[in-house]
Amino acid sequence: MKYAITDKCVGCHACLLVCPSNAVFADPDNPKQFMIHPRRCTGCEDKFADPQCASICPVEEAIVNESAMAVNPLGSLTGIELRREC
Amino acid sequence: MELHTDERLSAASTGCSSSQAEGASVSHLLPKDVQQQIARHPCYSKQAHKYARMHLPVAPACNIQCNYCNRKYDCSNESRPGVVSHLVDPHGALKQFRAIKKRAPNLTVVGIAGPGDALANPKATFSALKLIREEDPTAQLCISTNGLMLAEYADELAAHGVHHLTITINTIDPVIAAKIYPWVYYNHRRLRGLAAAERLIANQLAGLEAAAKLGMLVKVNTVLIPGINDQQIATLSAAVKARGALMHNIMPLISAAEHGTYFGVTGQRGPTEAELSSARDASGQFMPQMTHCQQCRADAVGTLGGGCGTEAASETSQPIKIAVATNGGPLINTHFGHAQQFEIYQLDSATTEFHFLERRQVAQYCNGASECPEEEADKQAMFKAIEDCRMVLCSRIGIAPWRTLEQMGITPNVDHAFAPIDEALATLAKTQLAPKADSHKESNDEVCHY
Repeated sequence: MKYAITDKCVGCHACLLVCPSNAVFADPDNPKQFMIHPRRCTGCEDKFADPQCASICPVEEAIVNESAMAVNPLGSLTGIELRREC
Repeated sequence: MELHTDERLSAASTGCSSSQAEGASVSHLLPKDVQQQIARHPCYSKQAHKYARMHLPVAPACNIQCNYCNRKYDCSNESRPGVVSHLVDPHGALKQFRAIKKRAPNLTVVGIAGPGDALANPKATFSALKLIREEDPTAQLCISTNGLMLAEYADELAAHGVHHLTITINTIDPVIAAKIYPWVYYNHRRLRGLAAAERLIANQLAGLEAAAKLGMLVKVNTVLIPGINDQQIATLSAAVKARGALMHNIMPLISAAEHGTYFGVTGQRGPTEAELSSARDASGQFMPQMTHCQQCRADAVGTLGGGCGTEAASETSQPIKIAVATNGGPLINTHFGHAQQFEIYQLDSATTEFHFLERRQVAQYCNGASECPEEEADKQAMFKAIEDCRMVLCSRIGIAPWRTLEQMGITPNVDHAFAPIDEALATLAKTQLAPKADSHKESNDEVCHY
């Protein structure tokens, strides 16, 4: 397992569409929560320079690496540091 | 500039807000064959407001970030592009289309506008287009896109019978674009800053040119952002016109703080009416302007806000509308208090039949967009959603809401419980023909906002 999806996921399908390993799937109990199959995920190492899910994901802190660090930390995608909830 | 004169004349004579201006001025600048091609498309021709369109929410993913969009789109109390309640897969979309088409013969246009980008979801988009085309070859298919992948898919779109295309292009200056788009995903990389801006603009213009060469009717949407892209509108308009764009739709930025977008959170204001009209003037030197856009949701169904049209101004009596509490099925089997949505039907006085007007989500009508509705606000929202209707059909209803409805001048009707909606409406059409001279005045304003 290289990458995982946190509960910040909004279920927008973007990662599922670009994953070259078909490792992304929707939680059967919650279609707005996507998950990465730990054994299928290769981290895209053999295929692309960057992990594809984390390169298209629009939500900060939704994808974490093996050390549980957010690949896209707060503010890195939207430029918004202070979050306000919808 | 005669365009603008027309606008003011029409606004003055109807007394309606400026958001509903004067499509006549749009079409007399277009060649006759093009006018015919857009005559039944409400997103192109103001005259087509009798015709309904349906957006299929099959495209959730997006490949760029815009500073006026919040990708946590699951807020059903908002009405703006990119927001949608329920995604459907292509077969679900076909089912929805069949259900609506049955009750809305005026449904002429089927589009895919998100909630992400149609071409960031090519499989779902093309599969839905194919299914709809097979079901109804007369349906006009349209697509709305940010243009990043358009050059790549233009041929395939044409092959699927897509004839109407909308590209959102906010600027052709990369420095300005970098202030609007923090990143784009292209060729397996996330690009940022100027690199992202340059890539997006180059692809948009190439895609526009390719689509226009294939004979598609291309409309360019531009979100007007004061202090950011408002001084470059003429340059933009000339550039897209030169590449084959047909008309320009300049829309005001929506940036309420509670939407949680970058522009909302940072206090970027939207344009004033004067700024909007000056931008449309600047673009109007090059291209016809579309000014009746309602900036609708990616799952919008119905006509573009019926009561605002020129027809409403010429008619003395208000149109007769009936609300049906529904869960989306063909039968009247929803309890009033459990309705998540209402289908609104309007009596066509010429044919004396009820025509499907639109679907209204109850949650859209709750007050206070920032909070989730309490029980009380929920109830209020239901009444507000149907306040312009003469009657509401449902399977059952409690005595308290019954009284409230009656006080509002709306007749609750459970006589048709568990009957098919179209049969109930056919029966009612025979009994609803005498217009009551009274009470319930529809507010044009309310319809315009929606």
